Amino acid sequence: MAEKLSWTELRRTLAARAGVTEKEAGEFLAAFNAQLIEALKQDKQVKINGLGTFRLQAVAPRRSVNVSTGEEMVIEGYNKLVFAPEAGVKELVESQPSADEQPTPTTIDPIKKLGEQAQEIVGLLDELNDIRPEEPESPEIPEQPETPEEPAPAPAPKPEPKPEPTPKKYHFLRDTLICVVILLLLLLIGYFFLRSQLTSWIEQLGNKEQVEYVIEGEESDLDEEVVALTPQPQTYGKLITTERITPGSRLAWISKKHYGDIAYWPYLYDANKDRLQNPSFIIIGTPIRVPKLTPEQLDLSSEQTRVNLEYLEREARKAMR
Amino acid sequence: MLTKDLINLIAGATGKSKKETEHLLTTFNAIIRENLMAGKTVQLQGLGALETKTRSERIIVHPKTGERTVSPSKTQVVFKPVATIKDALKNS
Repeated sequence: MAEKLSWTELRRTLAARAGVTEKEAGEFLAAFNAQLIEALKQDKQVKINGLGTFRLQAVAPRRSVNVSTGEEMVIEGYNKLVFAPEAGVKELVESQPSADEQPTPTTIDPIKKLGEQAQEIVGLLDELNDIRPEEPESPEIPEQPETPEEPAPAPAPKPEPKPEPTPKKYHFLRDTLICVVILLLLLLIGYFFLRSQLTSWIEQLGNKEQVEYVIEGEESDLDEEVVALTPQPQTYGKLITTERITPGSRLAWISKKHYGDIAYWPYLYDANKDRLQNPSFIIIGTPIRVPKLTPEQLDLSSEQTRVNLEYLEREARKAMR
Repeated sequence: MLTKDLINLIAGATGKSKKETEHLLTTFNAIIRENLMAGKTVQLQGLGALETKTRSERIIVHPKTGERTVSPSKTQVVFKPVATIKDALKNS
């Protein structure tokens, strides 16, 4: 990274490679810069084959706050010059460092693994296919040297009829064997593939069932607890403040601001029930009373609090409809 | 704007033929490519610098399935324009 190709070096190499003088190369580079900028001003985009695209990217104006005075201000929109390398160039550059950084592939991807398995199996099959035809050849090879060794014409026809039927049979057997092996392997691959998919489906189904079950369980628990605990009327202590609703603000945010967690928003709804028809559509400017909550009301680990909050939330959700 | 138009413009500015200009541009591109591949920063005086930046590997989460995979580290080509160019193009 520290290494740089300076402008003078660039000019020198360009002159040498293109077969022009350094002066001409310099003129070219200067013209390149000037014309590129002109072109960018005109077209917002310059595509250079074999390198990439220079483009003017518009940055939208945005609001910000003056850090020292706290005043709101607008940062004007402007254009940014960006460069996107051409696909080929990008790949070339990206492929470069992978050579010196070896431990890169650590993806946990079942599909890839399956693909690799399939490739391995294909490789094995190829090997098998390569081996099988060789085997029938191997018995033939020792036979051939036998024939020239035996000089007598009489024994020569004898080995000929004998080996001829045997290799044929062998071929038959081998072929059927290969077919069977391939079929078996294919079946195995299919089986494993299906099994992995099936298990994932089953897992998904199982998860869904579990989730449903949990929800049902919670609801039944709630009903019991509501009967047992029945906490409803909340009393609120002194008001901390009154928040005025501004565009984009939510009960949950106010809850987070004053109580430290969004979970307490139903209290806010409860305390301001008379002013809020629908907790998800609050009229801008509505003052929201933020009461001080007792430690019990803030205790999320207590069953009672949970029941209270859930009851209030249900009330609020009812109001939303 | 495409390469052809840029060649026309440069040829007009330097007073050379289009063919010569094209040859210069392709060699220019090749030199930049080679240097970037070698991890070098190419400085284009008055314009900016083309450099390579290594992005370290990071864990990415598939938004739908929540699956976590490691995105391998990679090198990217970054262009850093010179301040004057930045300002010149800001309001164009």
